[in-house]
Amino acid sequence: MGDFPGARAALDDAAYAVVGAPLDVSTTFRPGARFGPDRIRRFARPFDEYDQRTGRHFSDLACDSGDVSPWGDIPDYLDFLTGQLSDHHDDGRLPLLLGGEHTVTVAGLRAADPDVYVCLDAHLDLYEAYAGDEYAHATVTSHALDIADEAILLGARTGSEDEWDRAAEADVTVVPPEDVGGWTPDFDGDAYLSVDIDAADPGFAPGTGTPEPFGLEPREMRDVVRAVAPQSVGFDIVEVNDRDDGQAASLAGKLLQTFVFAHAEATLD
Amino acid sequence: MPKEQNEVRDLQEGNYVLIDDVPCKITAYSTSKPGKHGSAKARVEGTGVFDGQKRNFTQPVDQKVWVPIVERKQGQVVSISGDDMQVMDLDTYDTITMRIPEDLDPSPDDDIEYLEWEGQRKVV
Repeated sequence: MGDFPGARAALDDAAYAVVGAPLDVSTTFRPGARFGPDRIRRFARPFDEYDQRTGRHFSDLACDSGDVSPWGDIPDYLDFLTGQLSDHHDDGRLPLLLGGEHTVTVAGLRAADPDVYVCLDAHLDLYEAYAGDEYAHATVTSHALDIADEAILLGARTGSEDEWDRAAEADVTVVPPEDVGGWTPDFDGDAYLSVDIDAADPGFAPGTGTPEPFGLEPREMRDVVRAVAPQSVGFDIVEVNDRDDGQAASLAGKLLQTFVFAHAEATLD
Repeated sequence: MPKEQNEVRDLQEGNYVLIDDVPCKITAYSTSKPGKHGSAKARVEGTGVFDGQKRNFTQPVDQKVWVPIVERKQGQVVSISGDDMQVMDLDTYDTITMRIPEDLDPSPDDDIEYLEWEGQRKVV
């Protein structure tokens, strides 16, 4: 079992379960996403488990189910991971998935089966296959659109020409970084919220696989997480690695807490 | 109760297994691959044979589990009374009373097949 700070609720009582998925197979630039789950747990240590805004305690809400260790066969791993996440859903717990590379989101989506895919990300991730790999980290939005009816990509600022052409279709909404601050959710149905830490400006979160300048500020990301959490049935934070002094992991851990408190406030008594 | 012991690794989709002491038919089976630490684990998802409820567990593949011995039996409808039917077991000629399933419209002399375990029965 893992030890996300404060995630001390008993499994049967918890409304949320941290699940680590340290997959690091297709990372193209700086590897290290395999250290993401441990890194996020470590840099969440200084955080208070009490949230003054909602009056809630993290330790009443969340447990940590540890990591689902990956292996080289990505489709096979995603099948097993989907099963583990589905079990949490079936037992009434919302899994909080910690990547690992962005590919693990595919398992989160399959287990949650949302109507809308909402993603904070610097990249469109609309490749059908990247470097010949249909499960590479840059394909996740394509997979999401096999499951959800539409994708909303917040903070996206780069992609190939083919990806931008695909993003122009009706089922994809791209909100550029400069518009994220004024964005409010306007969609029907259940959402899956995926946070790729590289949505943040690399100055705030350098420890990630494919950093991209001109990104979001942490407060903008927090506001998106707070706004989307009430409609969310699944959540993940991905692409944190160990190539910094903990800035990326710290932001990731705080956004995870932010999601839990905002979701609990909207959905629990 | 009629059951036998097996290892998790020997299970597969379509088999029966006891989950939380309830006989279930396995609907999904997937395994993790072992690394340096820990053993391979299997996730088993099943549906209760008699109650239709979904259940699951994840255990190391060498963990022992109980497999219920569910019998498939032949019977003949003898008579109908209200929501119940009298059925004669065609092996033992015992007559038993069974609740008529919602999707069945039996008549006397109809042959039926049913599953039986520990006094619980289900027409198939």
